[in-house]
Amino acid sequence: MGSGYLLRKVSSAIVTIVFIVLFNFVLFRLMPGSPDRLLRNPHITEQTRAEYRARWGLDKPIPEQLVNYVVATAKGDLGLSVYFRNQPVVDVLANRILPTVVLFGAGEVVAIVLGIALGAYSGWRRGGPVDYVGNGISLILYSMPYFVIGMLLLLLFVTALHWFPPAGLQSLGVRYASIFDELIDYGRHFFLPVTTVAIGLIGQYSILMRSSIIETLGEDYITTARAKGLKSGRILRDHALPNAMLPAVTLVAINLGYVVAGAITVEVVFNWPGLGTLTVDALANRDYPVLQGIFLLLSIAVVVANLIADLVYGALDPRVRT
Amino acid sequence: MRSSLATGARPRLATRTRVLMAALLLAAPMLVGAGGARAAGPLILRAGTTQDLDSLNPYATALVVGYEAYELTYDFLVTFGPNLEPAPGFAESWQRAADGHSWSFKIRSGMKWSDGQPATSADACFSFQLAIDAVQAGDVVGLGYIDPAIADAGVTKAECPDATTMILTSDDSSQRILQTYIPILPKHIWVKETYKTLGDAKFDAPLVGTGPYMAVEWKSGQYVHFVRNPNYWGKKGAADEVFIVFFKTADSMVQAFKNGDLDYIRGATADQFNQLKTDPTITTVVGTSNGWTEFGFNAYGTGTGKTIKGGGPSTKALLDPAFRDAIGYAIDKQALLDRILGGYGTLGSTQVPPVLVQWHTDPATPRTFSIDTAKQKLDAAGYVTDATGQRMDKQAKPIKLRLYFPDSDDTYPDVAQFIHDWLAQLGIPVTAKKFGSGDLTSLMLPPEGGKPENKADYDLFIWSWAGNPDPNALLQIFTCDAIGSSSDSEYCNPQYDQLYADQNKATSPEARKAILDQMQTIFYNDAPYHILYYDSELHAYRTNKFGGWQKQPLEAGTPLFSYSTIGYSFLTDASVQPSPTAAASSGPAPSGGGGTATPAPSATPTKPASDSGSTPLIIGAILLIVVIAVGFMLLRRRPANVEDE
Repeated sequence: MGSGYLLRKVSSAIVTIVFIVLFNFVLFRLMPGSPDRLLRNPHITEQTRAEYRARWGLDKPIPEQLVNYVVATAKGDLGLSVYFRNQPVVDVLANRILPTVVLFGAGEVVAIVLGIALGAYSGWRRGGPVDYVGNGISLILYSMPYFVIGMLLLLLFVTALHWFPPAGLQSLGVRYASIFDELIDYGRHFFLPVTTVAIGLIGQYSILMRSSIIETLGEDYITTARAKGLKSGRILRDHALPNAMLPAVTLVAINLGYVVAGAITVEVVFNWPGLGTLTVDALANRDYPVLQGIFLLLSIAVVVANLIADLVYGALDPRVRT
Repeated sequence: MRSSLATGARPRLATRTRVLMAALLLAAPMLVGAGGARAAGPLILRAGTTQDLDSLNPYATALVVGYEAYELTYDFLVTFGPNLEPAPGFAESWQRAADGHSWSFKIRSGMKWSDGQPATSADACFSFQLAIDAVQAGDVVGLGYIDPAIADAGVTKAECPDATTMILTSDDSSQRILQTYIPILPKHIWVKETYKTLGDAKFDAPLVGTGPYMAVEWKSGQYVHFVRNPNYWGKKGAADEVFIVFFKTADSMVQAFKNGDLDYIRGATADQFNQLKTDPTITTVVGTSNGWTEFGFNAYGTGTGKTIKGGGPSTKALLDPAFRDAIGYAIDKQALLDRILGGYGTLGSTQVPPVLVQWHTDPATPRTFSIDTAKQKLDAAGYVTDATGQRMDKQAKPIKLRLYFPDSDDTYPDVAQFIHDWLAQLGIPVTAKKFGSGDLTSLMLPPEGGKPENKADYDLFIWSWAGNPDPNALLQIFTCDAIGSSSDSEYCNPQYDQLYADQNKATSPEARKAILDQMQTIFYNDAPYHILYYDSELHAYRTNKFGGWQKQPLEAGTPLFSYSTIGYSFLTDASVQPSPTAAASSGPAPSGGGGTATPAPSATPTKPASDSGSTPLIIGAILLIVVIAVGFMLLRRRPANVEDE
C-alpha cells in the first residue's frame, strides 16, 4: 500500500471529523427547546437560573459558545451533563459504552459468521432449497426493525417460555459462587439482545454475499479453475470466496462503526444500559452536552471504521491503491 | 470472520457438529442457571421505576427516585409518620418554647453514622446552617428544591449548645418547622462545603448516613443499590438490601415485574395496571399524587389594571372571573380523566390536592359540564356572539385565544385538542402550540420577573405542579407576590393574599384549616386555573417475598416512593410469616438467630456484589477482539494460498 494512498485517506478522515465537530455544534443549537426546563421551580430566583445557564454556557453568544466548544473538545473535555447534574460527559459516556460495544460487537460477529456462510452457500447452490428458503428469510429479516425482532423474542422466550430474563445486564444482588456462575448469569441476560442484533444483521450479510458469489462465479478464473478439474468445494473456498468477500469486508467495517451507536431500539426493548438508551434519555431531557458527546463519538467511530474499510480494501485489492 | 464453510478440508459435518456442541454447552447452563445462585443470600427488595436517577446529591436531584435514594440514606430532623404526622427522625423528641418561636430538638444520644462516627447535634446544625445561609443570602442550594422549606418555616437561627440539643429559632407560628425536607448530612464528611458548593458536590456511593439503608453503588442507567445501615437507630424492615432499578419504558419494567424479577413497581400505564390487577400474585395500589394538571388563564392586570405593551393577555375577558367561571362549564373533566388517564386520577377542584386530607376542601357548588350552561353564563356576563357565531369581548373584539403547553408531558397535546374543541363550540377559536419548558417559562414571565423585556404574552396554558406535605407551596402560587416568579396565572387578589398571611400565623390546625377553606373557595370561584385532575400514582407489588406493605398516607398513599421511607420499615419476610416465632411485625428486625429461613444478618455491610461487575464485560470484550483478530488473520492468509494454486 503506497504511503500516498494512506496519507490521502487519513487526512480526508481528519477533515471529516473536524467538519463533524462544527456541524455537531450547529445542529444542537438549531434544535428546539432548552435544557433549562428543570428550572421551573417556584422558589428559584432569576439569579440562580442565570447562574445555571452560565454553567452550561448558555448565556454566551453563539460564536463564543462555538469557540469554547471546539477548544474544550480538542482537549477531550466534552462538558458537563445537564441531566446527571454536572457529571463530566466523558464519565457519563464511559459508564455506558462497554455494554453497547459488547452487545453490538457480539451480535455483529454472530451475524457476520452466519450471514456470510448462508450467503455464500446460497449463491454457490443458487436455486437450491437453501438458497430458496435462505434468501427469503434473509429478505424478511433485512426488512424487519430490531424492535420487532426483540419483541417477538421477548414474547416467545420470556413471556411464554420463561427461559431468559427480560431486561438488564445481570441478576440483582446475587452472590456468585464463582466467576463461571457470573459469566452464565451475564450470558443469560446477553442472549436475547445479542440474538436480536444478530438476526437483524444476518440478512444484510447473506444477501450481499450471495450476490457477490454469484457475480464471482461468472468470472473467467472460476471457469479456468473448473477446467483444471478442481473440486467444487475447493473452487468456492480458494477462488470464489476471497474475491466475493471484498464487498462484505466493506459492510463489516461500516457496520463496526455503528457498534458504538448500538441499536437504540434493541437497547430500549431490553432495558440495556448502553449508549442507545442514553441517547434516548439525553434527547428527552435536552441534555445537549451528552447528546453532543454521543454524536461526536458515533461520527468518529463511523469515520474511523470507514478509514479502516478503505485501508483493508486497499490491502486486499491492489486495484484500488492508485 | 471465517465461516465453517471456509475452514479447510476437514469433514464439514464434524465441524458443524462441534460448533453445535459448543453452542449447546454454552447455552445449557444459561437455561438451567435461572435462579439457582440465589439460595440463602440476603433478602433483597427490588423496586422498579421508569425514572433514571440523576444524582445522589439531595440538593441536585429533581426526581422522585432521587428523593427516595437520599431519604433511604439520610434522616430528616423530624420525619413523616404513617399519616404524614411528625415522627422522630434524627431528633427523637422536640418541644416548642412558650414564646412559640424557639424549638428545642433532642438528638438521640449514642447515635452513629453508618461509618461508626458519632452522630450529634453538630451534624444537624451544620446541615441546617447551610440552608439558612442560602435563604439569608437570597440564594438557593443546588437546584433549590429543598432549602426553601427553611424559609417556609421561618427558621432564622440554628444553635447547638450540646451534643444532644439543637435549638431552632423561627419567626413563624405554624408547625412547618417539623416538615423541613433538610437531610441531615455527616459534618465530618461535608464540612468543607458551603451552600454555594454543596449543590455541585459529588455524592459518590458508598454514602455515609444515619438512615435505614446506605447507597453503596450507583450503576448509571441500571440501578442504585442499598445495603442495611448496621447502625440504624429505628425499626428495621425485612429487606437486607434494596435495589431501585431504572427502566427506559414501562413495558420492560412491567415485563420484569411479571417475570418475578421485581418486587415493586412505580409508574405502570393505565392499560398495564388494569392487566396487573387480574394477576392474583400481585397487589395494585392507586395513590393520589400531591399535585395536579391545570388549565390556566393569563389574568395579568387583575386588580392592578396594569398592561404590557406588546404582550399580556389578548383580551380583557381573561381578567374577568365570570368569563373564566363560564369557561369552566365547558371543560368535561370526567372525559379527560377517562380518555387521557384511563380513569386513574381524581377530578380536579381546588389548589389543595385531596391527598392532603387534613387541608383539602371540596367546592360547595362544583361546576358540571354543560356547553349550554357555559354559553348562557358567557351571554349573561356580556360576552355575546356575533352573526357568525364568533364570541366577542366587552370591547367588541373577537375573542381568539392562544393555548400554550410544554413538551414535558405526552398527554398535554391531547388535553389541548379537547379544550380546543369545547371552546370552539362556545364560539371561541383556540390556537394550541407546544413549547420547550424553558422557553415557555421565559415566554410566560411578566416584566415583574426583573427583565423589562418579558411580556407574559399568552392567553391559556396547560401545565402541572407538584407540592410538599404542607400546602403552602401550592397556595403561594396565587398570591400577588408570586407574579414574576412562580405565578403563571398572574392572578392577584388582595383578599387571598391577606388570608395567605393569616393562615401562616394561625396557631392551631383548626384555625388554619378554616382559613384554607376560604382560600380554596376563592380560588375555585375566581378560577385563575381550572384544575383538570390530580394525577395518580400507579404502583404494584408482589407479596411472595415481602409482607407488611403499608401505604403512606394510609388512605391515598403508596407503600414506597412516598413522603418518607417508613414503608421499608414495615416490610416483613413473607417466608417466615407463618412461623409462630417470627419476630417480624414488632421490635427489631430478624437478626439471624431465629427461624430457619431467616436471611443472613448483615451486621457488616456486604460488599457490593458487582464491585467486580465489569470484569465479565471486559472478558467478553477481549474475547470479541480475539475472535475478530483471528478471523482477520484467517482472511489475510487466504490470498497467499490462492496465488500458490
